[in-house]
Amino acid sequence: MTDTTALERGIGAAPSRARRRRFQWRDPWGHPRGLALVTWIYILWSIVPVLLAIRFAFNSGRSRSAAQGWSLRWFWKDPNLSVFHDPTLSSALQQSLTLAFFAMLIATPLGVALALGLQRWRGPGSGTANVLTLLPLVTPELVFAVGLFLLFTTAFKVIGLGTTAQVIGHVTFSMSFVVVIVRGRLATIGGDLEEAAADLGAPPWDVVRRILVPLLLPAIAASLLIVFALSIDDFVVSQYLASGADTTTVPMRIYAQARAAPTPALNALATIMLTVTLLALGLAYLVFRLMTRGEGGGSAIGQLAGIEAGIDAGGSK
Amino acid sequence: MSAGKGDIKLDGLVKRYGEVVAVNGIDLDVPGGEFFTMLGPSGCGKTTTLRLIAGFERPDEGEILLDGVDMSRTPPHRRNVNTVFQSYALFPHKTVEENVGFGLRYQKVSKADAARRVGEAMELVRLGGLGHRKPGQLSGGQQQRVALARALVLEPPVLLLDEPLGALDARLRIDLQVELKRIQETLEVTFIYVTHDQDEALTMSDRVAVMRNGNIEQCGPPQELYEEPSTAFVANFLGASNLVPVQAAADGAGGAQLTLGNFTLVAAECAGDLRGDALAMIRPERVRLEPHGTTGENRMPGMVEEVVYLGFHQDVRVRLATGALIRVDVPNDGDAIEYEQGNAVSVHLPPRYLRVLETDEPAPTDQPDAAPAEVS
Repeated sequence: MTDTTALERGIGAAPSRARRRRFQWRDPWGHPRGLALVTWIYILWSIVPVLLAIRFAFNSGRSRSAAQGWSLRWFWKDPNLSVFHDPTLSSALQQSLTLAFFAMLIATPLGVALALGLQRWRGPGSGTANVLTLLPLVTPELVFAVGLFLLFTTAFKVIGLGTTAQVIGHVTFSMSFVVVIVRGRLATIGGDLEEAAADLGAPPWDVVRRILVPLLLPAIAASLLIVFALSIDDFVVSQYLASGADTTTVPMRIYAQARAAPTPALNALATIMLTVTLLALGLAYLVFRLMTRGEGGGSAIGQLAGIEAGIDAGGSK
Repeated sequence: MSAGKGDIKLDGLVKRYGEVVAVNGIDLDVPGGEFFTMLGPSGCGKTTTLRLIAGFERPDEGEILLDGVDMSRTPPHRRNVNTVFQSYALFPHKTVEENVGFGLRYQKVSKADAARRVGEAMELVRLGGLGHRKPGQLSGGQQQRVALARALVLEPPVLLLDEPLGALDARLRIDLQVELKRIQETLEVTFIYVTHDQDEALTMSDRVAVMRNGNIEQCGPPQELYEEPSTAFVANFLGASNLVPVQAAADGAGGAQLTLGNFTLVAAECAGDLRGDALAMIRPERVRLEPHGTTGENRMPGMVEEVVYLGFHQDVRVRLATGALIRVDVPNDGDAIEYEQGNAVSVHLPPRYLRVLETDEPAPTDQPDAAPAEVS
């Protein structure tokens, strides 16, 4: 007893554990171990299922839940059931890539133009338009898809369901992301540079060519890749606007087959998709960093935050 | 150095933003080669006026003449004036040389000539050897010089400068003030300079226009503005002033008799024919403090309310018997009498330093230095 009290007074060589813990809790300069722990638990919780799914893509056996050795059978070795040889899987992959490619090429220029327009438009209505442009970011995708479905089956029957409708759908929802990214960049560029160029004698077209486009390039590159990633991930819009087997995308295929006769080939397909998406996002990030190097910290960081916000919002879609 | 002389004339210039009148019918004549400053608090219309001259804004009324030719409908890229921006507005993706050479592409200049002129401009602003850097790798002062070189390389007859030193620290600012003045005198270019900093305006300008609410309040050489402010606003914006409400009456000899409570003051001069309510204005450094009990013309008893030690001088605030507060600058000449709070003193307001001004409806700003950055 005497011992403990001495320790509690802090006279002893080592304070009691209770005392130390209390001290840590009160120590605002200490390492935030509790927060770190929670963070790591969350990271494990979100990543482990993905890692497991990837692991079974490399299974030698047919099981998607029991480890049965390692192989590349489900990617291309298996002559009938692999992603490469199963026509339903490879056509889904092809459809997904086609949609992503066109969505990327159409949504980016449109989104850049829209961002420029919104940036410059002052006056009645501009505030409302600003908010409405960003609405697709928060609209439940299901509502959005149902709306588009009605549109293409009634008012725009000429287009009808199918690949074109799917591309239009993807372009529609991904344009908001382009607008967010490009406007962030425009805000950091500011209006002064364009005025300065005009002041030095550059006619309007030269201002665009020599100042605006070079400075927007990082945002344009990032937009291309993010639209690609958004499109290739999409399930709901693709599903609603599909017209049959040849317009089935990878997420649709995986969903359908998971209910019927799943093989590790589905995991292999998902693994391919994940890799492609991660590559696209990683590339977007790198390109942006490289192209905005030497511009002075603040702007580049602000921009990256914008892109990351875009990626985050995309992930929650 | 260029064809035109660089005379700028503004004729009834008006710019409105919705209900707000930013520039309210400005008339101005700036002869070629003058260092002309527009000085005023935020929102006084000085930056808008500059942007109108540059062509970034379209005037609602009025004309902007450069060497007698109206250019108010000419787009900015065809105007023979160049601007130095407060933010510098350097192109971040181009090197310093490319920035400086940007505008030469639009003038009929051979490549060799362009390279020579870029070199000369860089020498002029003392930036030799930094040509291959990107603007992001330069300090604020260096960026400012690049912005200056980029505009000067085009040899414009008129250079517009929008608070070019606003983002720099105090020491660098003083160095660059001297340098700007040197460059302006060397090249004999018309400088139209916008600032809210009275020191900058006083140091560099040939003439200063003090602006307020879209109008020019007073325009003249710095000395004239400081010595003979025509309004309370100008008196307060350029330097510090004591402004005491008085009753004025003409004394028949060009001056005025001012009644302040039970006291009568004499002002040697009185512009205009002011009667009734007026403001007596005197600079703090021209008020004399004398021992308590000293009597005579323009002397009033008061009590020291506060003493602020400022190194090179003391700022003594004296409350007069009438209730008015007078600020007195007592120079620190080594053997100055020390004043303390509560001391009774006699305040001497020499008649030749007293000016009589019209009363000003809105309270004039007391601290022009503390004015926030220009937003207009």
